[in-house]
Amino acid sequence: MTTPLALPFPADTTPGGFLLVLAILVPIIGILLIWTLGSRRTELVALTTLAIGAAIALAILTELTGTGSAVIYLVGGWRPPLGLALRADGLSVVLIVLTAIVIGAVGIFAKGQFGYDPDAPEKRAPTVFWTLLLGISGALNLIFLGDDLFNLFVAIELVTFTAVPLVCLDGKAETMRAALRYLLFALLGSVMYLLGVALIYSGYGTLDIALLKSVARVEPLLFIAIALMTVGLLAKTALFPLHIWLPAAHAGAPAAASAVLSALVVKGSFFIILRLWFDILPAEATGLGAQMLAGLGALAILFGSVIAICQARLKLLIAYSTVAQIGYLFLMFPLATGSEATPAFASIAWTGGILQLASHAFAKAAMFLAAGLVYDAFGHDRISGLAGAGRVIPITFIAFGLGGMSLMGLPPSGGFSAKWLMLNASVGEGQWWWAAVILCGGLLAAGYVFRVLVPAMARPLARIKVKGPVSRRRELVALALAIMALLIGFVPLEPAPLLGIGRGAEAGLLVPGGLAP
Amino acid sequence: MTGATFDTATLYGLCGAALVGIGLFGLVLDPKPIRKILAFNLVGAGVFLVFGVIARRGAAAGFGGDPVPQALVITGIVVAFSATALAVTLVQRLSSAATDAGQPGQAASVPPKGETGTPGQGDAAS
Amino acid sequence: MSGSLLSGDATNGAGLLLALALLFPLVLAVGLSFPAARARIGTLLAIAPLPALAVALLGNGARFVMPGPFRLTLALDASGAMLMGAAALLWTAAALYAPAYWQGGSMLRRAGLWWLFTLAGSLGVFVADDVVSFYLLFSLVSLAAYGLVVLEGNSSVRRAGAIYVGFAVLGEAFLLIAFVLLANASPGGSLAIADVVQGLPFSPWRDWTLLFLILGFGTKMAQVPLHLWMPLSYRATPIPAVAALSGAAVKAGVIGLARFLPFDSGSVPWGELLTVIGMISAFYGVLVGLTQTNPKAILAYSSISQMGVIAAVLGMGLAAGRASAPAEATFYAVHHLFAKGGLFLAIGVVAATGRWRIWPVFIPAAFVALGIAGLPLTGGALAKLAVKDALGYGLVGTLGKLSAIASTVLMIRFLTVLRGTARTDAGEALAPLTLRLVWWGVAALAVLAPWILLTPATGYPLSDAVSPSTLFDGIWPLAIGGLLAIGGRRLLPNPPRIPPGDILALLRPVGRLAGAASVAIERTEARLREWPIAGAIFLGLVLAFSIAMYLAGSS
Repeated sequence: MTTPLALPFPADTTPGGFLLVLAILVPIIGILLIWTLGSRRTELVALTTLAIGAAIALAILTELTGTGSAVIYLVGGWRPPLGLALRADGLSVVLIVLTAIVIGAVGIFAKGQFGYDPDAPEKRAPTVFWTLLLGISGALNLIFLGDDLFNLFVAIELVTFTAVPLVCLDGKAETMRAALRYLLFALLGSVMYLLGVALIYSGYGTLDIALLKSVARVEPLLFIAIALMTVGLLAKTALFPLHIWLPAAHAGAPAAASAVLSALVVKGSFFIILRLWFDILPAEATGLGAQMLAGLGALAILFGSVIAICQARLKLLIAYSTVAQIGYLFLMFPLATGSEATPAFASIAWTGGILQLASHAFAKAAMFLAAGLVYDAFGHDRISGLAGAGRVIPITFIAFGLGGMSLMGLPPSGGFSAKWLMLNASVGEGQWWWAAVILCGGLLAAGYVFRVLVPAMARPLARIKVKGPVSRRRELVALALAIMALLIGFVPLEPAPLLGIGRGAEAGLLVPGGLAP
Repeated sequence: MTGATFDTATLYGLCGAALVGIGLFGLVLDPKPIRKILAFNLVGAGVFLVFGVIARRGAAAGFGGDPVPQALVITGIVVAFSATALAVTLVQRLSSAATDAGQPGQAASVPPKGETGTPGQGDAAS
Repeated sequence: MSGSLLSGDATNGAGLLLALALLFPLVLAVGLSFPAARARIGTLLAIAPLPALAVALLGNGARFVMPGPFRLTLALDASGAMLMGAAALLWTAAALYAPAYWQGGSMLRRAGLWWLFTLAGSLGVFVADDVVSFYLLFSLVSLAAYGLVVLEGNSSVRRAGAIYVGFAVLGEAFLLIAFVLLANASPGGSLAIADVVQGLPFSPWRDWTLLFLILGFGTKMAQVPLHLWMPLSYRATPIPAVAALSGAAVKAGVIGLARFLPFDSGSVPWGELLTVIGMISAFYGVLVGLTQTNPKAILAYSSISQMGVIAAVLGMGLAAGRASAPAEATFYAVHHLFAKGGLFLAIGVVAATGRWRIWPVFIPAAFVALGIAGLPLTGGALAKLAVKDALGYGLVGTLGKLSAIASTVLMIRFLTVLRGTARTDAGEALAPLTLRLVWWGVAALAVLAPWILLTPATGYPLSDAVSPSTLFDGIWPLAIGGLLAIGGRRLLPNPPRIPPGDILALLRPVGRLAGAASVAIERTEARLREWPIAGAIFLGLVLAFSIAMYLAGSS
């Protein structure tokens, strides 16, 4: 057995490549500024940073669609396998823009909540919150742009280290316990991922995904490595049955944090799994494993939804709904099958899966923010105590309802378009059992959404006790996110060309020896 | 590469595997958070040892070892250290919170079975 | 057939008006956020359907294709125009009726938003031209109606609402998979209804598609055994709303079957199955309806029965490949729309009328009710005439006549119960004039509108309706039904009482099973949360994935 020589990376830094570095560095600069300028200016700095981050995300999108090919930056000018590459293709850009929008919205929502308060007992909390928020946005960008498996390891660890403190921001024993469980579980996952990275390096002498694609062989070493990395990431993505840390962690965090955790953080590790299975693993080895991933996804959908229906508290209900909705993402693996003529990313299941990811991100963020507002208004989030709540804070419940509409897959919403595409894919691929799961999931989602909405919209027997006023701005942020979940339902019901940019043959990466002369 | 002979690299590799195994055993089965954290470090040490073996095997062009895995190990150690620090901080704060609540040391060392860690009584999932 | 005018053209002027007409209720719904609009809500609800009515009357051939990423295509054909116009009239009538019935009050304001959304969906579903738009509007009418079902807000109403929504969502799941199958077999990937239906006979999933279409639309039409929701929700819903729902909203199922079943090519087994389901519902509805004491529940069971007749007409049409069956069924549906909506309105009028002043409102009710059973010279007789050929002259045709007898018995039962609801405390009381006027108006439409529509809709000349054989066909089932009703009352003075939602009780074990399953799932969840188990699963998955890839890679 000889170590195959990895090819030199087949591309140079592209003109817009510096944007990728900015996407990662700007949040870090923001964090440094927060620490140096003191707590009075924390919010201003953080929000400005988020705005700049959003602008950079849009700039990368413009650059990508303008050139029609991947944006690449080689760190220090070194080509992989020795150097590191940052690489934005259509998929990365979609996720970067998604992250920028959701985190930006959460920032506007959290403004004032984590502001400078000289009388608060915990003076560090505001600084900590904004630091972590910026940290997550930078770390997620690093995941979406990273092209090196070890680089991705560092990025996913950064995400974990920023997400865990967000869970226990209030410093209560319960949330700290949830955070500790989350951390330990995530660490188990990351150390297994690292072992997989070690095996891959020993086999191929490179960790660059684009290069691995051309040298990866069908052999046990690769299988064990990919299995270790995949399962490690599944633990972080909280796919059933490795979801056990999620409900407590996501339900215990402050609303703004829950929104980011549920909408984005779990998607970061999912993104890496996607790249492992579609960008490294040779297509002939995926079949059974893909069915297994989707099988776990199907269990997640059914199991998570049923438990969500049984929950007594709103935030736990939403958290279990996340467990269920994550399941849909894994249906991509067997459904997005590629062929010689059409690669996997040009299939409708691929577009459907990414659409599900995005619509769930918007919908779930909106729902968690709404749950936070419910807590503000009534001082609790027991579903049984929310009869008539919709009459007190209608905008909040409209946001919740629109988000729920997307989860149920009602038209016109992103959830509907995603389900439509995935159903079409499962019929087209002859894998009707996934269609049955998707439909059942929709019915169960209707169950848990209506369970909240129906009493909330009804006339209460006794007048509901209102604890405090609800900020109109925060309500509108939740509503705006829910409307986003609706609007992305209007994408054409066909493979999205954007998701194909910078992937496959036109990037020169699929062809072994595809080095530009 | 001489796969059949039993050289130092193989010995280290086996040690690494053993460390990973012992660490995983502790991480999964030991109920005490602090010992879970220690076990995590054991697994980490095992993985780093495996990286060392890989570096050794990749020795070429006048180097005593492939520099890339060594660089990865250094970064990995930093990450593992940060993780440990974060976890220990959590355990410590949990312990002091439990002490404040009048049950010294309990909450930190033995988390209650079936914890969901959520406030309020209405937790139907627990 | 609806398909002929539907492919490929762009928006025309009438189409733009059509789109605006459908948008109008939604605009009004947004307008409800202003207090000034809320103060005039009665007027708003009454004018909301009027643009659609105008387009239905004038805009035949209208076509609208929404530009850009928004997928919405609308097209108005004869069947759609007829149903949309009739539905718009009924919605207007119900909206005029509502303020007087509720005496202003808060109920109208609470209903407003749901009313307008349901209205938009109810009218839109008749003109949707592609699969996705149809699904959107169908969902809108089904789910927004929930708000109307639970208006009164007590616990039994909420239970009815929950059951309603459960069936609505279930029906939509059936439809979604049917539409996905249709889209997958569509030639050239077009989503236009005409195109997907044309592709259906050649679809590899033809039978599954037809099954799910029948299940989905059958749920909306409350066909046995998916009929449970209808009696419960109709009994729960306040009268102005239930008039519109029973008349207009339920026709979404009829138009669905009419548009999506492949009548051109036909399908014998599925057509026969639909006929059987329809006929079972037609008789089952009457039988259980006879045991009811609440007039709204009786009408609900009568709706199940009448929708069964329509299903049977469409089923026979499908089995025979009869291209005119959709138009005939739609015509039958238009009569039912006015008649059923009207009778619900009559319940409210009679309940406000003293027993000595009842005749001016009761006699029209008798005409309309017996019209449903085919009373000669009423709209109902024309409806029966229109579907006579489709039902044929064999067994099904005979069953159709028998169903008319059964309907007579049920309608006599309804009229008896209705008469008993008149006020006895104030025998001279008169219902508010608006209520009476609206009721008379809708009753007139039920009796007369089919006369205007018969020839344009089905091609039968009006002279058929007054021919001696038609008159005779109309009279003898009524006579037998009348005798049966009288005889039945003698023989069975206290008929058994079956609670509305009859076989719902059978679902209780299912509920218990679901409860047990969810307890088991929660227990599993608690076990999964234990570290040793989670860890073992983790390592097991690593092993399983390695082996899976090895197996896939080595084969």
